[in-house]
Amino acid sequence: MNIAWKEIKKNKMRFFILGSIIFLVSLLTFIISGLANGLSQDNASLIKDLPSGHFYMNEDAEENYNLSRIDDRIREQLVQEQKDAVAFSIQMGFLNDESDKERSVAFVTSTDSKWFEQVGPGEIILDRSLEKEGMKVGDTLTHKQYKSSFVVKKFVDQKKFSHAPVAYINKEVYNEIYRAEEMQLLFTPGEDSTQNIKGLQSFSNKEFLNTIPSYSAEQMSLNMIVWFLIVISGMLFGIFFYMMNVQKIGLYGILKAIGVKTSDLFKMMWTQMLFITILSLTLSVGSSQLFNKVAPEDMPYHLTNETTLQLSIVFLVIGFIGVTLSGLQIKRVEPLQAIQQGEV
Amino acid sequence: MDIFTIDELRKTFTNGEMKEEILKGISLTLKEGEITALVGPSGSGKSTLLTIAAGLQPASDGKILFNDNNITSMTAEQVRDIRAKKFGFVFQFAHLVPFLTVREQLSFMLDVSEVKMKNEKREQEIDYILERVGLSERKHAYPSSLSGGEKQRVAIARAVIHKPRVLFADEPTASLDSKKSKEIMSLIQDLTKTLNLTTLMVTHDEEMLSYVDHVVKMSDGLVV
Ligand SMILES: Nc1ncnc2c1ncn2[C@@H]1O[C@H](COP(=O)(O)OP(=O)(O)O)[C@@H](O)[C@H]1O
Ligand SMILES: [Mg+2]
Repeated sequence: MNIAWKEIKKNKMRFFILGSIIFLVSLLTFIISGLANGLSQDNASLIKDLPSGHFYMNEDAEENYNLSRIDDRIREQLVQEQKDAVAFSIQMGFLNDESDKERSVAFVTSTDSKWFEQVGPGEIILDRSLEKEGMKVGDTLTHKQYKSSFVVKKFVDQKKFSHAPVAYINKEVYNEIYRAEEMQLLFTPGEDSTQNIKGLQSFSNKEFLNTIPSYSAEQMSLNMIVWFLIVISGMLFGIFFYMMNVQKIGLYGILKAIGVKTSDLFKMMWTQMLFITILSLTLSVGSSQLFNKVAPEDMPYHLTNETTLQLSIVFLVIGFIGVTLSGLQIKRVEPLQAIQQGEV
Repeated sequence: MDIFTIDELRKTFTNGEMKEEILKGISLTLKEGEITALVGPSGSGKSTLLTIAAGLQPASDGKILFNDNNITSMTAEQVRDIRAKKFGFVFQFAHLVPFLTVREQLSFMLDVSEVKMKNEKREQEIDYILERVGLSERKHAYPSSLSGGEKQRVAIARAVIHKPRVLFADEPTASLDSKKSKEIMSLIQDLTKTLNLTTLMVTHDEEMLSYVDHVVKMSDGLVV
């Protein structure tokens, strides 16, 4: 017979209230982390969608990719050694559309690579978001520093950098506009260890993302909220069970007197915590999926199954810790105390 | 072989610098199928003796032999195991689990004592005991809807459902009126005989002594 379950059944209201709070807190956590992830996609999907590997920029650039210039010899050498290595450059800038309206974009150019679109001179490939804003394939776009003009070749999904849509342009054109002979960055895919290249500083994908100024600020504040919520849910569990336990100290003493194992009392709390958490999480995961569907189109919301699973596990672990800490008082209960205290 | 023997039992409580000997060498043998009642003035050490005998607190010196095993030298876990399987408890108040029905209180006690039996048999046992304590009608009631006397009868049913060898009862009638007290005492007497229990109880009610087999008078930590 499961007395953990019996207690929930008899005290539905109490457990319902706990469950609702856990549901709300976890739902909020899911939504905010979906938002964090969505924003990070919106901010830097160009980089986020690359496989994990290493980024290199000049040491002298002091972690600012804009100031980095990679020596052509080093670049050629690395690209030869590692067939998937790619050199690329990014510049924030403006394009004028057919009605001469300025559009903020991130110009990107690269050496031959499967992860970067290759375009001929006079061509341009744009992020899909610009199509939604009314641009079409075949449109002619201009740039102040470029004598000739670009023809839109196609649109690609989800390529953003620093919250701006990416515009892939030809390397020669890029050099002409920005008067730069050298590429800013090198990227080598693969988990193998960093190569020590003289004069270059290496970054993991995550480290490189954090060099984008807006990126780390955004992510840090959102992730902080997520962690606060998780800690709050753990404390809720702790406080709730602590108060329930205080009321039941007498009962626990009697149960110990008649021979109930302390470990069984803990199991009882864990069972209740698991039941409430799993039920609340199921509901909040469901609701967050629903939110995924009904969230406004242009709201950067992107919650992956992986994140959902990770957060769910964290909730379970935190709940477990909260309950266990608050249960430590049970260990100290003496059977006699309770008997002498009289009616419970 | 006597099933339960208390031998030269002593208990000293230390309150800061103050040491007070509450039990000053008590020897006592309990007989199977019989009720032994501890009587004596308040503060004479009756409850202390009973709870030490029941393995609810440690002795300072002396032995408690249950089936020739000395409880005072066992580990806490061993004592718990004996309490769960071989002892039954009734106190002044019923101390029932508030969120379990009468039936569930008994079923839970069977779980605690790790009695293994088929569901059907388990229900039979529960029904049998409930009939013995006269609560068949209240099988699915929660404690909050029971009267004081009914609660105490559930407590007694819980104390014997797992067929313990020894029943400990500390003033089981102290919170009841005279009529109900007599009902409870005759129930304890009845169960002690039919289940062949060894019963140790504390009472300060002279009227209840007609239901017991032996009376042990205590005064100031000694049997007199
Ligand atoms: N845990 C304890 N610490 C200190 N003194 C205690 C403790 N338990 C009982 N006593 C003292 O032991 C004496 C006997 O108590 P008790 O066995 O409850 O008496 P009775 O049940 O005969 O009324 C009392 O003076 C009581 O104050
Ligand atoms: Mg007493």
